[in-house]
Amino acid sequence: MTDEPILSVRDLKKHYPIRKGIFNRQVGAAKAVDGIGFDIAPGETLGLVGESGCGKSTAASSVIRLEEPTAGEVVFNGNGRGGASRDSDGTHPNDVTEFSDAELKRFRRGAQMIFQDPASSFDPRMTVGSAVAEMLEVHGMSDRHRRRAIVEDLLERVGLSAEDYDRYPHEFSGGQKQRIALARALVLNPDLIIADEPVSALDVSIQAEILSLIDDLQTDFDLSLLFISHDMSVIRRICDRVAVMYLGEIVEVGPTDEVFADPQHPYTEALLSSIPTPNPRSTVGGIELAGTVPSPTNPPSGCRFHTRCHRVIQPDGVDVDQSDWRGILNFRDRVAAGQVDVESIRENIVVDDGPTSDDHVRAQLRTEFDIDERIGDPEIEGTLQDAIDRLLAGDDEAAAELLSDRFTTPCAETVPERTVHSPDHESSCLRHESEQATAPGAADD
Amino acid sequence: MATQKPERFDQVDWTEISRSRWFDLSINSIGMLAAALPLLIVALYDWQVLDERTPTLEPVGPAWDVGTVDYLFIFTLLLFAFYIVLPLFQNPRRTKYYWREFKRNRPAVVSLGWLAVVFVGGIFGPFFISAPEQSILTGYQPPVFLSVEQSYVSTCVGEVVNNQCQGTWQHPLGTTAGGKDVFSGIVHGMTISMQIGFITTTIVATIGITFGTVSAYAGGWADELMMRFVDIVLSFPTLLMFLLILYIYGAGLGMFIVVFAAFAWGGTARYVRSKSLSISEEEFIKANRISGASTYRVVRRHVVPNAASSIITQLTLLIPGFLLAEAQLAFLGLGDSTIPSWGQLISAGRSDLSFAPWIVLAPGIVLFLTILAFNFLGDALLDALNPEAEAENA
Repeated sequence: MTDEPILSVRDLKKHYPIRKGIFNRQVGAAKAVDGIGFDIAPGETLGLVGESGCGKSTAASSVIRLEEPTAGEVVFNGNGRGGASRDSDGTHPNDVTEFSDAELKRFRRGAQMIFQDPASSFDPRMTVGSAVAEMLEVHGMSDRHRRRAIVEDLLERVGLSAEDYDRYPHEFSGGQKQRIALARALVLNPDLIIADEPVSALDVSIQAEILSLIDDLQTDFDLSLLFISHDMSVIRRICDRVAVMYLGEIVEVGPTDEVFADPQHPYTEALLSSIPTPNPRSTVGGIELAGTVPSPTNPPSGCRFHTRCHRVIQPDGVDVDQSDWRGILNFRDRVAAGQVDVESIRENIVVDDGPTSDDHVRAQLRTEFDIDERIGDPEIEGTLQDAIDRLLAGDDEAAAELLSDRFTTPCAETVPERTVHSPDHESSCLRHESEQATAPGAADD
Repeated sequence: MATQKPERFDQVDWTEISRSRWFDLSINSIGMLAAALPLLIVALYDWQVLDERTPTLEPVGPAWDVGTVDYLFIFTLLLFAFYIVLPLFQNPRRTKYYWREFKRNRPAVVSLGWLAVVFVGGIFGPFFISAPEQSILTGYQPPVFLSVEQSYVSTCVGEVVNNQCQGTWQHPLGTTAGGKDVFSGIVHGMTISMQIGFITTTIVATIGITFGTVSAYAGGWADELMMRFVDIVLSFPTLLMFLLILYIYGAGLGMFIVVFAAFAWGGTARYVRSKSLSISEEEFIKANRISGASTYRVVRRHVVPNAASSIITQLTLLIPGFLLAEAQLAFLGLGDSTIPSWGQLISAGRSDLSFAPWIVLAPGIVLFLTILAFNFLGDALLDALNPEAEAENA
């Protein structure tokens, strides 16, 4: 094994332009993938994990050039292209994003993909055998008997029978179709397979079968794998290393064992706490992430996770309970967005005797945002009360102004740098920057 | 032949394979080429060498002068044979499945039978039954088992009983005023109807599918322009255009077919475009693009076949329109009077409806049944070929 990674992604971006108006002027861009970078060594499995909408699949299709990436570099050293060095103008001869049509077609023999939904990834009007054999045909193998022989052998290898060659996709179950999808991805003998949620559409029992099949094939044919999933338990089973993605960025990357044992980024923590434990009596110590993923058109400033982070940093001089701090920031954001409607809260309170008073509304607001009745820090408590009073007085704008003036977090201002925890384990969180020296700029240029 | 070569996917030497480039023709294409080339040569010979009055096949024997429409018809028949009928034999399992689905619709099976009769009669009938000939003396002969008053008939071929001329097997469906045999007229009309059906369908399908898929895949301004052009085609007054051509150049069957087909593909193109757009979003198209296949290949091998069920249905439902249009024009006296089409036969008998209704009724019923059969067939094909239904029944 050489030191050269089989796939090396640097600063990959995929922005979808948003056009408006009669002249189709570009008014913005959805930054689905915004500068990610990772390496995959030969024979290695890298997991790419994150919740829905964080850009995992876009990253995959940009890497394999199913979609044209906006910027960045994808260096593919498989397929006998290894050992190349950079040209004098800084471009790499193996940069997939710069490949010509002929080179791209050759690249297709070196990197293949498996899709999430086995039901829709086969042409319903073509026998599965010819669907797999078509790959060979496209790349110039004109001898139909030879194509058939190769595909029949391969179908047996992935756990089906040679007679299945002439059957149609609808005659197979989801797990069988995913086996055929594996055969299709394998038939050109690639060095790298990108698996985009290959098992998330399958039953858990079938999942295990497919995962062990992938494992076996990987050892047999020395494949490298980019394995995309939102399921941490699947990642733990199959991946050597894992990269955690949030809103178009990679927030943490490291060896699977290390990341699972000692997650460094709060988002990773939250994802890990979502894995169900087999013990029915254990209370789920789950970290609940409030809200949805922010829109990639207008990602939050600073650290993109700060709007939902349970470990969001308190500024100097502030020292309150962490969950109160999160609640205050949520309250601030909602007030600023004009989403706190005092009147409707007042109407919804049920009081046993007498009319609802302002105090009831105050208490209700605090419960809703998970803020203690009395915050330890008197200054913070005063500001908060002041803001609630202004809100009750109907002056939403003043309340929003006061809140955003007084409650700030460094997370919203500074973009976190990569921190190296151990040789292979990096994360981007501001909390680490004070603890450890920043990475020597190697991995995230 | 494959034994001495490696048969495992990971032992394939791709650098060697990808270097060899040659056309990989399917059996269908080879057959099509083998059959179409002689046809082309004969057509060129007919056009360039033979003078206009010599029947094409005179050197060989039969005095059949092959015309432009005939060449086109034979060509479309070859297309039909090699790209629709032959694949049905190549995929017996799929054919059986379609047949099972199709069989559920009984009227459609009967329709298919009727259309088969029209098809076979139209292709082989003219070789056995000579074209109807004018013979004033034997005009208004009644169909067999029927009779007509002696005074209408100048010479009764059959017996005359009680001053009634009886029909004979010599003219099973009677004759027209000019003494043309109605039965042989109907058989020769089948040829005309099949020619109209096949040639227009081929033209409409070719233009419509090409236009629709190109438009869908080009996108942007090209798509916009092409679809606005389709709007123009759709809103074009075809009948007026045809009348104009008729008065300037005169219009034979060939002109009718070309003009009506040239303005009928708009709906097909629009339909194919929307189908292609939805199919191109499917994941299996993505999976195919990742194989390195060219866009042309993906369209030809995956997009068009998946849209085919709807396209075939739509085309089947277009044919009755052409047949009716031809009959209507003939009835109005605007058709090609030199051809023995059903419409000409109907228009020949319209003034004698009071005493010789068979001249109108016989071809009229045949035309009616054929149009009905095409409509039933179209509906049944939609159900039988629908891929969603296929998935549900699996």
